[in-house]
Amino acid sequence: MFKDLDPILHSQLRLAIMSLLISVKEAEFTFIKEKTNSTAGNLSVQVQKLKEAGYIEVIKEFKDNYPNTKCKITKAGIVAFEEYVKALQQYLNVSQQ
Amino acid sequence: MTEEKQLTEQESIQLISRMIQEARNYFYESGVSGLIYGFSVLICSLLKYFTAEKIISFPFDPYYLLVPVFVIQLWMQSKEESKKKVKTFTDEVINYIWAGYFFSVIASLAGLFAGVGSIIITIILFLTGFASFVTGAVAKFHYHIYCALLCWALAVISLFLNDATIYLLLGIAAIFVWIVSGLILRAKFKSLHHG
Repeated sequence: MFKDLDPILHSQLRLAIMSLLISVKEAEFTFIKEKTNSTAGNLSVQVQKLKEAGYIEVIKEFKDNYPNTKCKITKAGIVAFEEYVKALQQYLNVSQQ
Repeated sequence: MTEEKQLTEQESIQLISRMIQEARNYFYESGVSGLIYGFSVLICSLLKYFTAEKIISFPFDPYYLLVPVFVIQLWMQSKEESKKKVKTFTDEVINYIWAGYFFSVIASLAGLFAGVGSIIITIILFLTGFASFVTGAVAKFHYHIYCALLCWALAVISLFLNDATIYLLLGIAAIFVWIVSGLILRAKFKSLHHG
């Protein structure tokens, strides 16, 4: 039985954000923007969607007197990401057979 | 990158691996705090050797100078940490290892008050070897593993020494563990952030 791919994760930018955050403790918004090559507006919208899904935590603070946003994956986000990768592997195994 | 582009399974896997690699490749380590500590230990060890050999006189035990160095280094490290755009689990583990190391060294320095003498150097060399070994293993930086082997060898040699030469062993460890690795990190940092 195939699992449906999580629609929150099955989009290019949101998956890129989650993939960046899965292997680090936390990352700044500017770093994610640079690595995903996205615009600030677009990235903000996708970060908000992931936050609403409970997959990431968004921390707003001040750094050298400037506002700074950091993102951190949550436990729910890790579980969702792992499920997504498992589902992908299932699809890939079948297509290779 | 567009937000709603639907990916094929293959593209998703490729994107995941590329992004994980990008995150893992993040590097921000100027090497300055290692260099400061390395040169401080080297200078203190040489001063200790010269005072022990009565070549020069010094008003107090030169190793006490390391206490303010710890404070300066802690301040520099926290400043550098705040500049990092990414905090990795590896960084966190390494910071804990060296924090534990510094507290152990400070505690060992209490032996100077008790007058136990050169055995403190042996303890510090074993501790340095341990911290260096774990750092090398966690960061996959083989150079630190070789440094650990060197520190343990120096620690064993120190057990057979009863003269001031023992202080030079700590100086040798400082050159390899902090100064050379600090220079390696500094060169990598410069090539990545200014190159």
